[in-house]
Amino acid sequence: MDDDVGARHTPAEVDATFRTLRRVAVGYFVVFLLAVAAFPVLSLTSDWWSEARLVGGMSPGFLVAAFGLYLFFAVLGVAVARLMSAVEHRMLDDTRDDGFSAADEPPGDLP
Amino acid sequence: MTGPSALTLAAVLVLLTVVAVVMRPRGASTVDFYLAGQRVGIATNAWAICGDYFSAASFLGVAAAVYATGLDGAWYAVGFAAGFVPVLLFVAAPLRRFGEFSIPDFLGRRLGSEKVRLVAVGVVQLVILSYLVPQAVGSGITWELLVGSGILGLSPYATGILVSTAVVTGLVAFGGMRGTTWTQAVQFLLLLGALVWLAATVLGEGFHYGDAVSDLSTAPLVNPADDGVLATEQNALHPGDAAVFGQPGARYGGLGQFALIVTLAMGTAGLPHVMNRYFTSPTGAAARTTTVWVLCLAGLFYSLAVMLGTAAREIVPTAVADHPWLAELTVDGVLLVPEHALPVLGRIYGGDAGLGVVAAGALIAVMSTIAGLLLAAAASWGHDVYERHINPRATQRQAVLAGRITTLLTACAAACLGLALRPETFVAATPSIVATMVTWAFAVAGSALTPVFLLAIWWPRTTARGAVSGMLTGMAVAVGMLAAGLFADGGLLRDALVTPTLVAAPLAAAVTVLVSLRTTPPPDVEKSWLIMHGTAADRHAERLARLVVAENRRRRGARRTRRARG
Repeated sequence: MDDDVGARHTPAEVDATFRTLRRVAVGYFVVFLLAVAAFPVLSLTSDWWSEARLVGGMSPGFLVAAFGLYLFFAVLGVAVARLMSAVEHRMLDDTRDDGFSAADEPPGDLP
Repeated sequence: MTGPSALTLAAVLVLLTVVAVVMRPRGASTVDFYLAGQRVGIATNAWAICGDYFSAASFLGVAAAVYATGLDGAWYAVGFAAGFVPVLLFVAAPLRRFGEFSIPDFLGRRLGSEKVRLVAVGVVQLVILSYLVPQAVGSGITWELLVGSGILGLSPYATGILVSTAVVTGLVAFGGMRGTTWTQAVQFLLLLGALVWLAATVLGEGFHYGDAVSDLSTAPLVNPADDGVLATEQNALHPGDAAVFGQPGARYGGLGQFALIVTLAMGTAGLPHVMNRYFTSPTGAAARTTTVWVLCLAGLFYSLAVMLGTAAREIVPTAVADHPWLAELTVDGVLLVPEHALPVLGRIYGGDAGLGVVAAGALIAVMSTIAGLLLAAAASWGHDVYERHINPRATQRQAVLAGRITTLLTACAAACLGLALRPETFVAATPSIVATMVTWAFAVAGSALTPVFLLAIWWPRTTARGAVSGMLTGMAVAVGMLAAGLFADGGLLRDALVTPTLVAAPLAAAVTVLVSLRTTPPPDVEKSWLIMHGTAADRHAERLARLVVAENRRRRGARRTRRARG
């Protein structure tokens, strides 16, 4: 544990950030869960979902399982990562006084 | 084995060995051996996580599951990819910021309890072993198809298991996390290259994805039964109807689809070899960005795997006439072992060299995942048990040696279990034995570790007793349901039993919460919260990195000036 790094934020600042991030994470998780659960529900309730022919002769269900859900996960991932970083930046990093730009790329000695 | 196949395989092994030797740990410290000095960049770590995660189940298993069950097989791909969404939302950044060696180490320190650490080690070892065995099976299958003969009187299947396990164990024991990071990154790029090559070749030869799905969906789906004769798959969603390739129901009912995805999605956050990679990121923000990269790469990888499973179903029956070697691998144009789908496609379009490329890809997938699992086993045995309990005064060199010895022992155990299994005996019971066995590991991880892990990160009231009770409940329920599922006939009950996370994870979470509310949380929760959910650690690491970069630039400038003068 990096014990020496916790002193720069107050517990109240971190707690407020933590609660906001938790709301964001739970909200996006519900969206994720609904999207995943929609597939079996549509399979059971809609003939169109399994039998219609759309792009290239694939059914809507096959298109979603073959491409759509991966695209959805990627878009959701980009959106939530940007939002979480923005929340941390506004609620924690804007309060700091070391003059370091939070927009800088995280470091690493490898590409 | 033919010349091109042998050359391909030898070239891959030599490349990986060179990478492991060049990138071996520079020092003898445990931080270097287990965490690559915590300085792995975003792209490298994303590639390495993909190399770690895309195992035989992803490379051979997803295509095999789609080949055998059509759309229902694609659920494996969706579930494997979906797993990184919860990781991104709940785990990546706080886990890295807390900064430990392993999941047991994280839980032990966060909850201030050695008992939590030891129980977590037990669960982690069960997950690792459940995950290692299907990798061993995958390497046996690939060797059988690629080489076709054994050494020292062993069968090809047994030889494949022993050779791949021995090679990876050597690379891991020698290279540690630093060498393994780079070999996994290279392995992923080779694996993706093999998949892209095969997909491009198949499409270039005139394969039309949509038309194939449409054609395959006009007739009932058939697969070899126990007696070796083709049997029609029954539709689980509409009992009495035959299953069709392009529609759901060949394997799972409505609950089964959802339960499989939940099992795979929740399991990823509890996989020790994947989570350990997050400790190697320089900051929490870097860990989060790394996960976004992984989500994008996973989407590309799995959509190609689903397409190639479809291509194999469409192409193999018509190829039997022109390729006599397919006769012994098929019954009326349907493969006996679905995991042969990709290697067979490779051989149809690329001859022996094509088979070599795909089989090398499969072995790479197996080896990179085995490497990650062995490192995770080494970290939990070597750091959490040896350093903390057996020899607390161990020197860094002794601790690293303990890690290396445990990689050998874990690898031997997995190889022995893999040798005891024969994949063809499971064809009638599962769409892909490799993918199914990996699902068991996801089920245990998602039921026992993920709920406790998430609560420890996001609920400050979590206590050590609550965590221990939750982990034991999740593990017992998951293992019990999986065992009961082996004897269940089918239908809704079997669907629920073989993908137990939907039941076991909420139970584990409920037990953790109830017991935690009746016990006292650790005294330093506030301090843990500042570290996990604050960004001070990130800023500290960023500032250090900037100083190092500036110092390196200054030294390079000074050297250039000296050379110019001299």
